[in-house]
Amino acid sequence: MPELEVLTKEKRLPGDLAMWFFILAELTVFAILFIGFSVAEQLNSDMFTEGKAKLHQISGLINTITLITSSFFVALALNSMHQGKGGQAAKLLVIAKLVALIYIAVKIWEYNSLFDQHIDIETNTFFTLYFMITFFHLMHVLLGMVILIFIAVKAAKNDYNASNISGFEAGASYWHMVDMLWIILFPLVYVI
Amino acid sequence: MTNNVTNHILSKKKITYSWLWLILLTVLSAYNEDIFALFTLNKSLFIGCVLFIVFLKGQQIIDVFMELSQAPKLWRNLLLGYVTLLPIIIGLIYLLSFEFK
Repeated sequence: MPELEVLTKEKRLPGDLAMWFFILAELTVFAILFIGFSVAEQLNSDMFTEGKAKLHQISGLINTITLITSSFFVALALNSMHQGKGGQAAKLLVIAKLVALIYIAVKIWEYNSLFDQHIDIETNTFFTLYFMITFFHLMHVLLGMVILIFIAVKAAKNDYNASNISGFEAGASYWHMVDMLWIILFPLVYVI
Repeated sequence: MTNNVTNHILSKKKITYSWLWLILLTVLSAYNEDIFALFTLNKSLFIGCVLFIVFLKGQQIIDVFMELSQAPKLWRNLLLGYVTLLPIIIGLIYLLSFEFK
């Protein structure tokens, strides 16, 4: 019994260690981009103020809410997976992906709206950084969705069980990282 | 092993409260400028407030969604360090810029 007590109090890193190193590397790359954006903003404050005024703050807000909500469903899916409910976890992941599709649709609409105003990556420093950072993030969202599809299929097939869900946890953690990056990106690009 | 994993389950209620808190903070962050304009508060305070909200949201994602509140301290601290240090660095860049204007 004391042995069991020691076991249950043990701290455990969710997912694979390799995934966490990958997450740290991704966070570092984005940190450099965010700091670069902040410095460039101070060097070209008028240009950045004008550029931000041309963005749709509401679309940034919708995208933040969709990513947080998608992450919420992924967290619920992991909760179900912990209880060995693979089918339920897979369904929750499908909802998470559908919510994430709203993010992609809004992002494409936002890009199109800027292109209609003849604004693109070469317009000025603000839009170069805006397109670079948001598109790089969008690529991470797409990769995250591929990972979610992969783990949803495995969960539906009951390939995971309550004591062996490391792969599922790693995929979920990646998705939460994508969400976390957006919550820094949103105020930096749209709010401040 | 099963007991070990079971011990790490966070309740659905906690996850749901965390989600609602994140939504509230997001809306607050988006309309922060209007609130500050209403009370004629300065821009430094507004930026500080927005960046503090970033930290609060990051902490929720790390502890609740990523379940790192029950992970080894090193990993939790590494990620919490990220959502603490990055907003501080960004805040300092803005603050120094205001000083030199």
